[in-house]
Amino acid sequence: MSSDNLNIYTDCFAEAFEVDKKTISETLEYNGIPEWDSIGHMTLIAALEEKFDISIDTDDIIDFSSFNKGIEILKKYSVKFD
Amino acid sequence: MPIHSSLLKKPRLVEKLRRFYSYVNKNNGQVGTKTRGIDLNLNNACNLRCKYCFTNSPKGDHVKDRLPLDVLERVADEADELGYFEFDLQGGELLLRPDILFESLKAIKPERFYLYLTTNGFKLDEKMAKQLADAHVSRVSVSVDSMNEATHDEIRGRKDSWRKAIEALKHVQNAGMDPYLNITVGHYNAFDPAFEELLKYSKDNNYKTLINVAVPAGMWSQMSEIMLDDKDREHLYKLRKDYKNLIRNIWNPFDKSHEKSIGCTTVNRLYITPIGDVLACPYVHIKIGNVIEQHLKEIVEYGFSIKHFNEHSPVCLAGENKEFVSKYLSNTGQTIFHPAKASDIFPEEDFLKKSDVKIHY
Repeated sequence: MSSDNLNIYTDCFAEAFEVDKKTISETLEYNGIPEWDSIGHMTLIAALEEKFDISIDTDDIIDFSSFNKGIEILKKYSVKFD
Repeated sequence: MPIHSSLLKKPRLVEKLRRFYSYVNKNNGQVGTKTRGIDLNLNNACNLRCKYCFTNSPKGDHVKDRLPLDVLERVADEADELGYFEFDLQGGELLLRPDILFESLKAIKPERFYLYLTTNGFKLDEKMAKQLADAHVSRVSVSVDSMNEATHDEIRGRKDSWRKAIEALKHVQNAGMDPYLNITVGHYNAFDPAFEELLKYSKDNNYKTLINVAVPAGMWSQMSEIMLDDKDREHLYKLRKDYKNLIRNIWNPFDKSHEKSIGCTTVNRLYITPIGDVLACPYVHIKIGNVIEQHLKEIVEYGFSIKHFNEHSPVCLAGENKEFVSKYLSNTGQTIFHPAKASDIFPEEDFLKKSDVKIHY
């Protein structure tokens, strides 16, 4: 289940930014690729909320500054990655 | 570390953006009566003489006027309270007077808006780009007419304007703001390979491309032949799917299928002139109020009480609806500074009852 969630999480990035999944790496940060801009960010948040059936708080949306930080945040919403 | 102008440094903007996103999703992908943006003509003076300027700046119209700072501050506060999340500063050319620009930014408090400038880029160097990013400006849109330097300079009426615009976009990108390349498209160039050359350039450089449709207003007043037809529109939708980085205010920015229209954004995006008049949008030169004399809420309520602005239109009223243009936007002398008054041109039956006007802030 946990590796499934990592896959789903990565898919959300690829779909929201409309890029090849290979582009999404652990080192990816906000604005690290042109597609992760403000519109891309809100699209990503909406995709994650839908896939994991959660509602992310505003404070967490602005803290969501990288791929890894996002995992940390989603864990707060009981999404398991380990 | 995200820079000042980043979305991640603007919690209030995130809140408003979420409300907008959620409303549009629930409203079948349509903008409805949800507040979205303010387009403010800060000052109409310009250093270029563009052939199609919609503000009549090349004719020297009202180039010395500007909103008093206390009014601007109040308008920005009211806009924020009403859920407006975009703030587009335009002119004229704003960078002719950086002193005015920066004191206005201070009054607006850009940290709560997706604030951007629309500029010709002539005076936007590396230092200025950095200053703008530090002042919480999220995006800069630079208008480019052609990848052919001579063509662009001829349209803009000044040598070197192409080179400066192209350089400006790079400075914007390097400073960490969102770089937008603005293109005006009408029936005269929708199928022109030169238009696609611009799209390609923008995509290759990782910019977003903002498509503004040509409107028969300002310097092009009465020229309805420039308006897009159905075939042109179909072509634009195809390009939207092909390029994926094209933005139009009428298109849903969150639509991953790249095919849905959010609807014409009259009143959703208000246009405020340097003398405080509020028009339904930058291109619909119909006055619905004045911010020096009225509160924004009153103006918004009045604007959405007009059925043409309340009801969904899948096309841009000023750039694609020839019937609307012919009936309401073709009066001789109708400009941003001499707009038609809504109460004069719309009959009583075009106004909805107050109880039927539901606005989503």
